[in-house]
Amino acid sequence: MKFTHATAVGAVALATALALSACSGGASGSGTPDAATTKDSAVDYGSLKGTITAGGSSAQANAQAAWTAAFQAQASGVTVDYDKSQGSGGGVTNWLNGSYDFAGTDAGLADEQQTEAKANCGPDGALNLPVYLSGVAIVYNLPGVKLQLSSATVAKIFSLKITTWNDPAIAADNPGQSLPASAITVVSRADGSGTTANFTGYLHDVQPSIWTYPVSTAWPVKGTSGQQGGSGIVNTVTAGTGTIGYADHSSIGTATAAAIQVGTGTDFVEYSAAGATNAFGAAATATPQTKGDLLQKIDYAKITSTDAYPIPLLSYDVVCTTFKDSAQAKLTAAYLGFVASKTGQDVAAKNAGSAPLPEKIQQDVAASLKLIK
Amino acid sequence: MTDNTTARPPLTSNAARSGDSDRGPGALKPGAGTSRASARPGDAVFRWLSTGSAASIMVILAGVALFLIIKALPAIGANWSTNPDLSGGTTAGNASFWQYVAPLIWGTLWSSLIALVLGAPVAIGIALFISHYAPRRLANVLGYLVDLLAAVPSVVFGLWGIFVIRPFIIPFQDWLNEFFGWIPLFAGPVSRTGSTLLAGGIVLAVMILPIITSISREIFLQTPRLHEEAALALGATKWEMIRLAVFPYARSGIVSATLLGLGRALGETMAIALIISPSLIFSVKLITDSANSQTIAANIALNFPESNPLQRDALIATGLALFVISLAVNMVARLVVRRSSGAPRRSRKDRA
Repeated sequence: MKFTHATAVGAVALATALALSACSGGASGSGTPDAATTKDSAVDYGSLKGTITAGGSSAQANAQAAWTAAFQAQASGVTVDYDKSQGSGGGVTNWLNGSYDFAGTDAGLADEQQTEAKANCGPDGALNLPVYLSGVAIVYNLPGVKLQLSSATVAKIFSLKITTWNDPAIAADNPGQSLPASAITVVSRADGSGTTANFTGYLHDVQPSIWTYPVSTAWPVKGTSGQQGGSGIVNTVTAGTGTIGYADHSSIGTATAAAIQVGTGTDFVEYSAAGATNAFGAAATATPQTKGDLLQKIDYAKITSTDAYPIPLLSYDVVCTTFKDSAQAKLTAAYLGFVASKTGQDVAAKNAGSAPLPEKIQQDVAASLKLIK
Repeated sequence: MTDNTTARPPLTSNAARSGDSDRGPGALKPGAGTSRASARPGDAVFRWLSTGSAASIMVILAGVALFLIIKALPAIGANWSTNPDLSGGTTAGNASFWQYVAPLIWGTLWSSLIALVLGAPVAIGIALFISHYAPRRLANVLGYLVDLLAAVPSVVFGLWGIFVIRPFIIPFQDWLNEFFGWIPLFAGPVSRTGSTLLAGGIVLAVMILPIITSISREIFLQTPRLHEEAALALGATKWEMIRLAVFPYARSGIVSATLLGLGRALGETMAIALIISPSLIFSVKLITDSANSQTIAANIALNFPESNPLQRDALIATGLALFVISLAVNMVARLVVRRSSGAPRRSRKDRA
């Protein structure tokens, strides 16, 4: 294995030395690879050539398509293949065994996956880079009612502790609204999903005494109506009456979303891209597994300001710090640099309905990408 | 009426040939012709090509079985209650692989049975209409339409189920529950979304119509004219003639057609995955949101992407269970077909 790797790396390095002759001066210095990647990869994409193979989270899929199109407009020699059919789990698995240059995942690497990654990425391990931000919307279909929900009520509804719409808890959140006495139909995901993981994470954090289920990619409550995909939830909620479900806000279309209580006060906030960005800024702290890693711990309880939406949805791209092939490293870092740049975030916001990452995180990602070699 | 039947190869023998049972006599025939012409290189090449193709089927089947077994073993052998990879997500809360797969096997069989109960009588009715009641031109058109149904992709059926059958079925489910709620099948709480096993069963029934109809039709048309005319000559009405002459002749053919339909229903994925709201439980309820038994194929499709490697092995192991079930159903179907294809041969000899 080692010998074949060595020869493969040698061959590709030779090929890319020709392709990337403009950058070779800095890279061959080998003392500080950081300096070389900083300047040229951030600005000049025109000289890049090659194919980036990646896959994973379907939540990012629309954004990845937008990024790929915008990136290729500037770097015509680059092809990006992002396979969304894998899901986060499959993406990380394929990346761990070396098939992908990066993986899109809604969960970030678990500690043992980070350890496992060192086999493929070398002793410096891997980087979790936040790239996609949106919000979990609580969609419902209750004609004539404009719903506001406190976090406790959300937890009660989704754990099936409240079963009718005119329950006192819902009425208390919605003074002056006439609520029907009909049953609540809770619609959840039937397939494993990062949206479910983010949503159960929120409930687990904010209402641990009501929401006694684990944080999980598979919906943990029995007795709900399970549907395939975020679009399945949105379709089912829209088609029925008295239904309520959760979905990535960028995919809800014309469905109605509830305003959610922020913090423990009496303020209810509707989703907005700016709200998701502010929520992320207020609640996320980096919990690095390796040098430069940007794995985030989101403390939902810290989201208390009325300019923030209480259930942000975050998705990462995971990448090796040390590639087997330095040209591929440069290429991937350039693409991810574009993804996390202001331009990239705006492109995704415009075309995929995501929320831009806070500027500080954009800068952090850019700084971490300099470590990639 | 019989013209168009003799022109087409009987579908039953096609179905029976899914393995290699017909290869023996087929291979002998060219050998019998050697007295007529000396062998040319083309003969040898063609013979090896076709032998190779036949052998490749066995290799592929064995390869699939081997792959399933090898991938399944780690998950089957794992300790499900202590293994951290299996204690979360889709495989959470199971003490062993068998506990995980048992409700899935039940759901697979149960949903297929519903589809059969709903679909088979209609399919046989269509076949009978085409073979014995419809004017010839209409029969041709109808037969063509039913065959066309087989060409519709299953994801289209799934979407049709979501957008047409689901809303359509909600009031009917309420009615069933109101008057027949005392039967466990129709016990509540009634679904408000229509994502029920009944909706899935209806769509599955439509999907298995073509195979059951075409096979039954061919068999009905093979009923010896003499038997039919004899029944009519004895003063039987048309229905009595069908009951006395057609059904007894076609009985085993209908059974095998139904079993092949069952085989199709067992492996159906997309329609079920899209329509029903699944739970991993043993349940006979048909019209709830919360108690529809999940099928193996849909469970794999829904959970494969977000699974870790060991969970993927577990899903592949459930696929192995489906493989075994399908194989068993197909073998039973072929046994019945073989017996049924023996019957007419004997009767033909009797006539001679």
